[in-house]
Formats: sequence, structure tokens, C-alpha cells
Amino acid sequence: MPISLTPNAITAIKAGDVNLKPLLQVLDIKLIGKSQERSKDRYRLLISDGISAQYAMLAVQLNDRVKSAQVEKGSIVQLIDYICSDVKGRNLIVVLNMETIVPHSETIGNPTMSADSDTKAQNPLSDLGSISPTNRFVFNEPSIQHFVNKAPSGGVNIQNPVNNTPTFRPSVQPSYQPPPSYRNHGPIMKNEAPARIIPIAALNPYQGRWAIKARVTAKGDIRRYNNAKGDGKVFSFDLLDSDGGEIRITCFNVVVDRFYDVIDVGKVYLISKGSLKPAQKNFNHLKNEWEIFLESTSTVELCPDEDGSIPRQQFSFRPISDIENAENNTILDIIGVVTSVNPSVPILRKNGMETHRRILNLKDESGKAVEVTLWGEFCNRDGRQLEELVESAFFPVLAIKAGKVSDFSGKSVGTISSTQLFINPDFPEAHILRNWFDHGGKDTASSSISRDNMPGGGSRNEIRKTVSQIKEEGLGRSDKPDWVTVKATISFIKTDSFCYTACPLMIGDKQCNKKVTQTGTNMWLCDRCNQESEECDYRYLLQVQIQDHTGLAWVTAFQESGEEIMGCPAKQLYSLKYELQNDEEFAEIVRNRLFHQYMLKLKIKEESYADEQRVKMTVVKVDMVNYISESKYLLNSLVRSL
Amino acid sequence: MDTSSPSAFVNGALLRRYIGQKVRTVVQVIGSDMGSVVGKSTDDLQIFVKGSPPASTTTYLEVIGIAESENSIRAETWTNFGISFDALNYNELCKLANGEFKHLFI
Repeated sequence: MPISLTPNAITAIKAGDVNLKPLLQVLDIKLIGKSQERSKDRYRLLISDGISAQYAMLAVQLNDRVKSAQVEKGSIVQLIDYICSDVKGRNLIVVLNMETIVPHSETIGNPTMSADSDTKAQNPLSDLGSISPTNRFVFNEPSIQHFVNKAPSGGVNIQNPVNNTPTFRPSVQPSYQPPPSYRNHGPIMKNEAPARIIPIAALNPYQGRWAIKARVTAKGDIRRYNNAKGDGKVFSFDLLDSDGGEIRITCFNVVVDRFYDVIDVGKVYLISKGSLKPAQKNFNHLKNEWEIFLESTSTVELCPDEDGSIPRQQFSFRPISDIENAENNTILDIIGVVTSVNPSVPILRKNGMETHRRILNLKDESGKAVEVTLWGEFCNRDGRQLEELVESAFFPVLAIKAGKVSDFSGKSVGTISSTQLFINPDFPEAHILRNWFDHGGKDTASSSISRDNMPGGGSRNEIRKTVSQIKEEGLGRSDKPDWVTVKATISFIKTDSFCYTACPLMIGDKQCNKKVTQTGTNMWLCDRCNQESEECDYRYLLQVQIQDHTGLAWVTAFQESGEEIMGCPAKQLYSLKYELQNDEEFAEIVRNRLFHQYMLKLKIKEESYADEQRVKMTVVKVDMVNYISESKYLLNSLVRSL
Repeated sequence: MDTSSPSAFVNGALLRRYIGQKVRTVVQVIGSDMGSVVGKSTDDLQIFVKGSPPASTTTYLEVIGIAESENSIRAETWTNFGISFDALNYNELCKLANGEFKHLFI
């Protein structure tokens, strides 16, 4: 049975119809804009409805159809998703999705290039009657619905091409006949009517005019940058529309000033004009291959009436058990019950800036628990609220939008700048979780997927070594110092010189502490400050022998750790020994400080003194042994080695 | 070291393996009477300790004696272990002491 093309389809498409799903014949395929990168190839089709023919661009994701010869010259195809936009007075059809109905056919009819003046007689609609349903054709399925957007401007909402592609089967439906008033007569006028609202998922760089209606789900801070072109500032925000399409909008420089204060998280905006650029996937984790750059001509209008059809936020929650196999740096959404919150601690970043970090534990129904690291502002704002809730024995549900997976030790999830936290949110998922937790989930043991190599006790960065391992493993010989913790006993303290005279002057908000030398009558001179002081400070410079079951080593302890080891200020010991000359009491104090066991954090670095390489070990922190956590540590090492 | 009369480390669940033998365990005191103490074992089971407890007991108490049943011990030695004691660690110790390497524990 011969196939009939959908009559007058070209005219209808050019008039703006996007629901027609016409059958058309491909008369020609041309590769244009061939570039080095295959992915940037573009194909231009000449499509015909049997009477008129028109050029159409093929969306990049359909390039394979041409490459694999599913679509050839002569193929009869059904357009499923397409857009016709007005580019500089010319109609440009972009085919977003289509199906091949007949792989090859003779040219049907006698099509002529479509002109803007519409002089061709229109075939009667009854032509459609000649298409009878065969196995190949499925009449309009119920799942394929055409719905009209509730937007005030009354635009027509087209299908979401991304979601529907895999399940689409060809369908034929009664043709749309454009009302006569849509036909173009006379010269082309600039279309002054508001642009049609289209779903975010249908946005592409080949549309001239578009508008989207979407809710702001996240808004970034203004960031300043400096590159080859000079200084600049940038901010971005994320949008979500009623079809679940999401996209990021980025503004630079003057555009920042224009829109930064207009944008509020949670509100709905009508946005039009702007250029689409490929999304920068390393910064932008949204499910969209494009992002929008607003320009000074762009319009951003607040929609005052609340549109309930646009969700406030879109999550795709993954169970914690999934994170175990997620790759490092994956961005994902999780929801769980907070079972513990650690205090916020200051952390020195690699660039020397101080930030805050707070670790909490989250568990869910998957039977797994994970550590969540809050950074910076999250520690105070949300972290404190969570801490208070957990302390009052109310374990809150926490939803995390866009957390980043880290595989630093085990798997954990950390916040990034675009992360959003929702405490006890009003989602169905949260209610299910709360119900699970309150009815048994609270008491079920969850195995943590974090800190795999960090059993019991000790802080996250602690590397435990024995004294002999320091030498055996050649610690301190690399470019950077090694930081390790040893559990060791102090076996000897050098007392002939245990402190030095330090400069008490302040440099900024810090004491100078450089060594001062006595000048004449009780005045102390600092070379650094180039000043004399009447008094000097005494600070520890202590040589200590430490010992564990594997061996012994000499370490140096400065002021704070020295005071910890000696149990009194250096000045007190100095005056006892040199001013009061009470050697007996001095010896007694020192003797009492021996044979105590400590957790010593050491900085180990090889240094050269007069062409001689020496590994220098400095005590940076002295802690009493915590027997509970130490027992846990030992038990864990025991169990692991069994 | 006297190894002639070893006392096995037990928690509440392990007690039944040693009925009639010498055991040692640590309990959290729940209540005490003239001739007995009711305690919670490190694995959250109830243990009755008979004998003559010390006049005052601390939160944690170590007892050494003969296991009479799966939940009672006739104690010979009573030692106050203070108010701060990590039951979880002790419980793990009991499991270790009764596992594959039992022979290493006296």
C-alpha cells in the first residue's frame, strides 16, 4: 500500500504547529559545518510533504541515524519532536526526534521549494483516509498526550524529547490544519508577539526566540575572577520547569548587576533571550547539555502567581548503599536520618585560608550509613541546627541535593557550593524514612561505608606508626614532611639546656619569640625586632627520648608540647634551676615526668645541617592516651590481622 | 602466674558454656541486696551475682566466681571498676577470648 505524506505539513510546521507529527519524505541530506570533531557535525535535510519542500536541521543527537543509514535520501520519516523558529526572517525547522517509517521510497509527488507566499492549493484532509492502520502504524497512544501549558501566555507545550525518545513508537494522527489567518501573506514582519513558552528540555542553540517558565532551585554567590581578559564577576542559578527539565543560567559582569537582586530561590520566572552554550560539566551537574548565558537584552520576569505545577526542587535520591560503588566526585542526592553530629572544627586549606568542617553520620533503609562532611557556611547554619536536634535526641531527616562523593577513606559525601540541605523536609521520601526510623530503624545496626581504613579512635588524618617504622620506612625523606602519630613513653629528658630566652615583643598579633641575647645590664636584644627589652620570655626547646615496644628515638618539643610534657611553664623550671639553684627539686620534677605514655603527633622532615642529612622529628601535639579509643583501635587492628 | 585455676572472660551470652566452671565478667550494677547483685552484662543481658558483695558498689563491678546457671554466678572476688568503663570493648574482648584464639587467654 502506498504511503501518503501528511498533506500541507510544511505549511503547518512553518505556521508554528508542533503537534502534527507529520509523515514527510527526505529528499536530500547534506553534511554542513563539518568540523574536526565528529560530534559537531550537523546535517541538513530537505524534507517534503509531496507538494512543498523545506530545509530542516537535524539535532546532533540524531546524527547517528544518518551515519548508520537509518535515514537516507528517499526515506519517509515521521517527525516527532521539532521546532520551527524564525531566524533572521527565515523559518528554520530543527528536528529533535523522528522515526524512519519507510527506509527508501521513490520521490512522492512533485514537491517544489517552499516559498513564503503560499499559493499551492491545499490537498483536502480526506487524503489521510488512505493511511490505514497496519502493523507498522500505531494510532495515537494514550501515553502520548498533548497538553497545553498553563502558562498565562497560553503557549503550546511540546513533548519532552529526552524522556520520550526511548519509548516512542511511530504514530499517525489526524493532521492539523492551520487556520487561514496563520498563512503568510505579504512581506515578512518581525514577530512582536511574546515568544512561546517551551519546555527547558526543548531548548537548543538553533532557536531564535524562546521563553521558559521555571522556578529557581538554587542561586550561587557572586564570584570574582581574574583571567587573561582582566577582572570579572559571575554568578549562576539553576532552574526547574513543570516538565522536570533543569538548566543552569550564568551571568557575567554587568548582567550580574542587572539580575542578581531579581533572582530569588523558590520563585518562578519567565525568562527569554539569552544564548545557549554547552554546559561546563565540571561545574554544572544538571541533567542538561546546555546552559544559558544571559545578555543585557535578556528578560527575566517574576511570575507573581504561584504555579503549583512546577516542583520546588527535584531530587533523584540514591540509597546510601549505592554510594559505595559510586565513583569519586560523583554528584548525587541522598536522604537519611542524622544519627550523630560532630563539632565544627577549623581546617586550614591548602591555599592557607581557614575554613570549617563538620562531620555527621547519616543512615537510611539500605542498612548502610555514610559520613557527610559539611564545609564552610554549612557548618554553622545547618550544622548547628542539626547538632541541636541530635543533642535533644530528635534525629532529624536530612535531604542533600547535589552532594559530592569522596573516596578519601572509605566513601563519604561532602558539600559543594551548589549543595542544598533540607532539614526535616516535607517530602514523601522523608516521611517514609521517618516512619522506618521510628519503627525499628533507629535500633538496626547500619554498617558505615566511610572510614574503611580508619578503625576506631583517632582522627581522620591520623597515620599511626611505631617508632621503628619511622626509620624503616624512611619517613621525612620526601619533599613534604610526614605527619604521624606514635604511642610512646618518655624515657629521658635532656636537662642541661631545656629552654631559650625569647623575645617578648609583639609583631602584629603574634609574639616574636626569636632568641634574644643579653646586653649589658639585664637588657635583652632581639635581632629580628632590633629592639631591647627589660624582660625576656623563657620558652621550651626540649630534647626528649621516646620509646615504644619497637625502639627509641630522639624528638624535639617546643613551647606548647614542651609544657605539656614537663607539666609546668619553662620559666618556672628555669628559675628553680638557675635562680633558686634548687637542683634537688628540679631533678624530682623531671624524674616525675618520665615513663608516662602519650599519643605524640610528630612532624618528620629530613634537614641538612652543614652538609649532613638529619631526620628531624618535632612533637607538634601531646595527648594523654585515651584508653577507650585506644582499645578500640587495638581491637580493630587485631580483628583485621586475624 | 597462677594458671592452675583459670577464669574465663565471659559476657552474658557466653556464661552458659561455663556452668560449673570459674568465670570472670564485668557488669553494670542495676540493684544490690545483702547477698546478691543484679547486673547488666556487657551484651545487655541480666546476670545475678550471689555471694557477699562489697558494702558499696560503683557503677561497674568485676566479679570472679563459679557460673551456677546461664544467668547467675556465685562470686568469690568482687572488684569495683568505677563509673567509667567501656562495655563495648570488654564485650569484644570476651568474644576474642572465646573464639579461635581462646588458647591465648587464661
